Amino acid sequence: MEPDVSIETSCMIRIAVLPIGDVPSTLLRDYHSMLLRHCTIPLSTISSFYTEHQKSPFAHQPWETGSLRFKFVLGGAPPSPWEDFQPHRKILGVIGICHCPSSPDLDLVIDQFNAAWRGCSSVLVQRCFAFSPGDSQLEDTKKRENLVLFPPSDRSAQELHLQTMMQDISASLLMEFEKWVLQAESAGTILKTPLDSQATLSSEEVIKAKKRRLARAQKTIGDYCLLAGSPVDANAHYSTALELARLTADYFWYAGALEGSVCALLVIVASEPNSSAICNIWWVGMGFRCVCMLMASLQVDRMGQKDIAIEDEVRYRYNSVIVHYRKSFIQENAQRVSPLTFELEATLKLARFLCRRELAKEVAELLTSAADGAKSLIDASDKLILFVEIARLFGTLGYQRKAAFFSRQVAQLYLQQENRFAAISAMQVLAMTTKAYRVQSRTSISKQSLSDETETGHVDSGKMHHQSVVSLFESQWSTLQMVVLREILLSAVRAGDPLAAWSAAARLLRSYYPLITPAGQNGLARALTNSAERLPSGTRCADPALPFIRLYSFPLHPSQMDIVKRNPAREDWWAGSAPSGPFIYTPFSKGESNDNSKQELIWIVGEPVQVFVELANPCGFDLSVDSIYLSVQSGNFDAFPLSVDLPPNSSQVITLSGIPTSIGPVVIRGCTVHCFGVITEHRFKDVDNLLLGAAQGLVLSDPFRCCGSPRLRSVSVPSISVIPPLPLVVSHVVGGDGAIILYEGEIRDVWINLANAGTVPIEQVHISLSGKNQDSVISIAYENLKSALPLKPGAEVTIPVTLKGWRLFLGESDTAAGKNAFGSMGRTLKDGSSPSLLIHYAGPLGDAQDIETNKSSVPPGRRLIVPLQICVLQGLSFVKARLLSMEIPAHVSESPSSLANMDSKPFGEAVGYSKIDRLVKIDPFRGSWGLRFLELELSNPTDVVFDISVSVQLEKSGNEDNLSVDCAAEYGYPKTRIDRDHFARVLIPLEHFKLPFLDGSIFSKDLLSDGSTAGRNSNFSERNTKAELNASIKNLISRIKVQWQSGRNSSGELNCKDAIQAALQSSVMDVLLPDPLTFGFRLARNGSENAAKLDLPKESDTSIQHIASKNSVIAHDMTPFEVLVRNNTKETIKMNLSVTCRDVAGANSIEGAKATVIWAGVLSGITMEVPPLEETKHGFSLYFLVPGEYTLVAAAVIDDANDVLRARAKSESSDEPIFCRGPPFHVHVNGTA
Amino acid sequence: MQREDAAQLPQFILQAALDIVQDLAWTTSAMILKTIDKFNDLVVSVYVTDDHILNISKPIHFLHFIIHTRFMLLHDSRSDDGIKSFFQEVHELYIKSLLNPLYLPGSRITSSHFDTKVGALARKYL
Repeated sequence: MEPDVSIETSCMIRIAVLPIGDVPSTLLRDYHSMLLRHCTIPLSTISSFYTEHQKSPFAHQPWETGSLRFKFVLGGAPPSPWEDFQPHRKILGVIGICHCPSSPDLDLVIDQFNAAWRGCSSVLVQRCFAFSPGDSQLEDTKKRENLVLFPPSDRSAQELHLQTMMQDISASLLMEFEKWVLQAESAGTILKTPLDSQATLSSEEVIKAKKRRLARAQKTIGDYCLLAGSPVDANAHYSTALELARLTADYFWYAGALEGSVCALLVIVASEPNSSAICNIWWVGMGFRCVCMLMASLQVDRMGQKDIAIEDEVRYRYNSVIVHYRKSFIQENAQRVSPLTFELEATLKLARFLCRRELAKEVAELLTSAADGAKSLIDASDKLILFVEIARLFGTLGYQRKAAFFSRQVAQLYLQQENRFAAISAMQVLAMTTKAYRVQSRTSISKQSLSDETETGHVDSGKMHHQSVVSLFESQWSTLQMVVLREILLSAVRAGDPLAAWSAAARLLRSYYPLITPAGQNGLARALTNSAERLPSGTRCADPALPFIRLYSFPLHPSQMDIVKRNPAREDWWAGSAPSGPFIYTPFSKGESNDNSKQELIWIVGEPVQVFVELANPCGFDLSVDSIYLSVQSGNFDAFPLSVDLPPNSSQVITLSGIPTSIGPVVIRGCTVHCFGVITEHRFKDVDNLLLGAAQGLVLSDPFRCCGSPRLRSVSVPSISVIPPLPLVVSHVVGGDGAIILYEGEIRDVWINLANAGTVPIEQVHISLSGKNQDSVISIAYENLKSALPLKPGAEVTIPVTLKGWRLFLGESDTAAGKNAFGSMGRTLKDGSSPSLLIHYAGPLGDAQDIETNKSSVPPGRRLIVPLQICVLQGLSFVKARLLSMEIPAHVSESPSSLANMDSKPFGEAVGYSKIDRLVKIDPFRGSWGLRFLELELSNPTDVVFDISVSVQLEKSGNEDNLSVDCAAEYGYPKTRIDRDHFARVLIPLEHFKLPFLDGSIFSKDLLSDGSTAGRNSNFSERNTKAELNASIKNLISRIKVQWQSGRNSSGELNCKDAIQAALQSSVMDVLLPDPLTFGFRLARNGSENAAKLDLPKESDTSIQHIASKNSVIAHDMTPFEVLVRNNTKETIKMNLSVTCRDVAGANSIEGAKATVIWAGVLSGITMEVPPLEETKHGFSLYFLVPGEYTLVAAAVIDDANDVLRARAKSESSDEPIFCRGPPFHVHVNGTA
Repeated sequence: MQREDAAQLPQFILQAALDIVQDLAWTTSAMILKTIDKFNDLVVSVYVTDDHILNISKPIHFLHFIIHTRFMLLHDSRSDDGIKSFFQEVHELYIKSLLNPLYLPGSRITSSHFDTKVGALARKYL
């Protein structure tokens, strides 16, 4: 059998094209392709080369329309035993092709050429074309037969030359054909085929052969007529031959003649579609039936119908051809030779002729029957050709699966021949089937995808649905796909194509690992390794093998490197563009990109980035990935390779990193993997599709799930853009980044070091706070930072931050204590109660013009979050606060005790006192009546010692002395030490808070606060709210500071304001407000009222006892006294004053039977009027009869008291007298009784 | 290689026959398409259900994945009646398995019950 047969093959002159000498294969192909353009030489063009030696036997030669056809066979072909039967199988001409530069000796060329063609007896014409001869060869004028030199020139000239040469050859052949036909007509040529028995003929057969001879001669003449381009003549001869052959029952030749006649018909139709000559021919030759049909069709002047008529005719005759070839089958020859190949060739010819989509069914039947004949074919190469042709025809028909099926048969036939070239052929054939079996290599897919898309565009929807259904279905023919891939692998290994083998093994392993046993998987892995060994290192393959790689996540910038859009129009350029909302600890900042499917990522030139991918090895062998890195198409990314070992059936999430190198978008398509010795690209999209298919049950299995990896939502690659470098601040806390451990209320400075690790200076910085307990950051030395700007790359700045430990809540402190008990203090950190510093910073704005033209070109700023890792430990704890009152009687002395400013003045004078003296804060001569102390009970549950110091800030506004604020305002008390696990009490005198005078306006506030009076004094405005009182209390409290110190560098303030407030709430009025009247006594002995006042500071250096003795009163002596009354209100008070003196026992020593004191002057019922804020004195004298301790008490009944006084006295009714009593004054009377 | 190929050949034949079925199914309303294709001595018959979905079977090699309701039978005998009955019963079985809510139409039928039933039918009719 011959490949590529068609009905027209019968009219083609076969010419062998032989390379002479050394011709490079590319040039040979090139020359061959030049020849191929001259397959058809019109008869009209060869007339100049043609000379009619005798009358031409081709009477109806169509010189105007006809042509000669050639079939160039590169390399020639072995002579066929059927040459006599079909002259088109003969090699009738030889064209040698010589490439002159490689074969300089033209004589040698001629010799070689002659040797080449002489082996072939049938050759009628021979020429040797010598291309691109050198000058010497051109000058060599020696005449050589059959050698044609093609002078070097441009291509078109060469083609013209070649065409002329071909016309010459055509003319020569035509003349040879004439000669042959004339000879055949005259002399009887014996024509035999292998079908005729070779043995000595019996007499009967000789007679039979003689009878048949004429028919065969006629048929052969017809064949030559056909070759000579004269179909009409051929037809005439064929008609004769048909008649004769039928008579002699020479079925084989009958069929051959019939084939020839169909070819003649087609040639006629092709050359003269509408000429009436056709009719004539048919009148001459054919039976009535077809002529009528043809007439009918010609009369209806429509090409389509005529085509149908011809088609029917061809089909009819070819069926007859097939039948007759089958009839010619002779049983006794069957072992040796069989006409089956002719039958099959005829079938293929018909099928090729009919091969159209509309006739698919008929063609398919023809091809199926042809395929059926294959099993009777003896020769394997015949079978091969048959299957090749069937596959080609099915492919033309659009039956891809059928074509693939037969291609695979071809491949199997090739594989049966155990040689390398056959294996290469098998591999190539199998590669063609991969599309139909959907196991294509990636390289072929990329080429075809475009054409596929355009194809589907035409198809109507119903059909498309159908096709998609079918394709869905086909994707499940996994058994077939595996078989095909395995065959490709086998053939590639045999053919020595390691890359193809690698690719096939990779496809097999990747797609069908669930269907392959572990042993098989190992085998494939070995095949991959073996193939890779034969490949040069660095070979790339389009088909990925293992592992499966999917995108796991794209981590966003860590909080240290957040990028913030900059709004150049605003001072706070970072505002409104915080990337992660109000929360510091959002899921994003944890590195999980859960919801960033369509998110945009910004990468920065020169800053390393990371991408998480998950690898899976679902196979039963250890997979070692030599290197894996991100495959970035855009080319502006340096990916860092990584090597991974994956145990069998395992998956692993790895971090791939890289550095963007230039500005622009980054497109990450997948990963480039170097595994099994070959570099492949694994695209994320493919795996996504695979996983999608697995989810729908269409794909065998999900490689990640079978490795035990949890199901993951598909992560799509966000659009990533790279921007120019930005500054990058890194921070650390000086002295270590560990937790800052503070006791409650402790105040401490920490230093935060900020360094610019980027390559761009920082020009704008802003620090703000976020998170819980922001008030624990007392101050940030923002100025330090400002002054350091611009912060150059590599520069650093340290800013102090003052922190204060916040209060632990009860539960919190409990847990903290509990944790402390377990010895893990650090755990309190993770509740996230620490504040964070938000540092927004940015580089230079860039060109001002740039900004104006393009706002988006402003380089973004960044945000650094510095979490202050503060761990607050429970420190000194406050237990309770109590208000204590105390009375210390005053001594009566000569010195005038100042009744005014009694709160502030004594202490103002006491400022200069030494520390010890300050313990005695109370002027013994003035006494302290109604003195109140705030007692704070503190406990120290910690294991360190605390020192407590209490300071009271005095009210500055009221102090007219205007002493230096620092000194006067703070009043220090000695430190109290509290040992670990001990309690301590601290007393805070509240004396100093009394207001200088009793004022209605001030007092009215208190009235309301006091529940009992509020109801009664409803004339006071309700609007004097409790808030105002609270404000004044707060003012009071805020002046009390309890500070502690522990160790060398822990100090802080105890927060006990609430407790103090609670303690003070009930008796705040008493603390704050002075009595309306204050009373005082003094000795008026020397009458000098004012002299001692200035001396007092000096005198106070002496002991109390000394003062007391100096100012002592002697018994039996008339001692003048003065009682001083001060009005603390702003209104004049009239009163009825009385003075009493009591002895130690408390009995009245002035009146009564046992009176021990004699007096002079008025002691009771003294009517006084004291102007506002003034003092009035009243003198009297006492004569003590008995030495000892006496107490003087002044009391007054206020006449016509106003509301203020009443309220202060908490009197029940308006007519109740208001009684004021002064503090007792001690008088020590010396002397003997 | 050869033996293995012999085992896979029926599947290849059936798959290739799909090309013909695909065209033929649109030209006829008959459900059974007899002997639409053959290779060597193996003949392919197809049963196309109303909704143009196809299934495949063969007495020796019954394909477990039956999809879109075209049953294809690769056989060497010509007992038309048997094939017809076989197809009808397999169709019935297939419909039953389709009714399974957990079965995703188009995916592989993994039921062993289905397999044994079809095997029994094959022994009965073919």
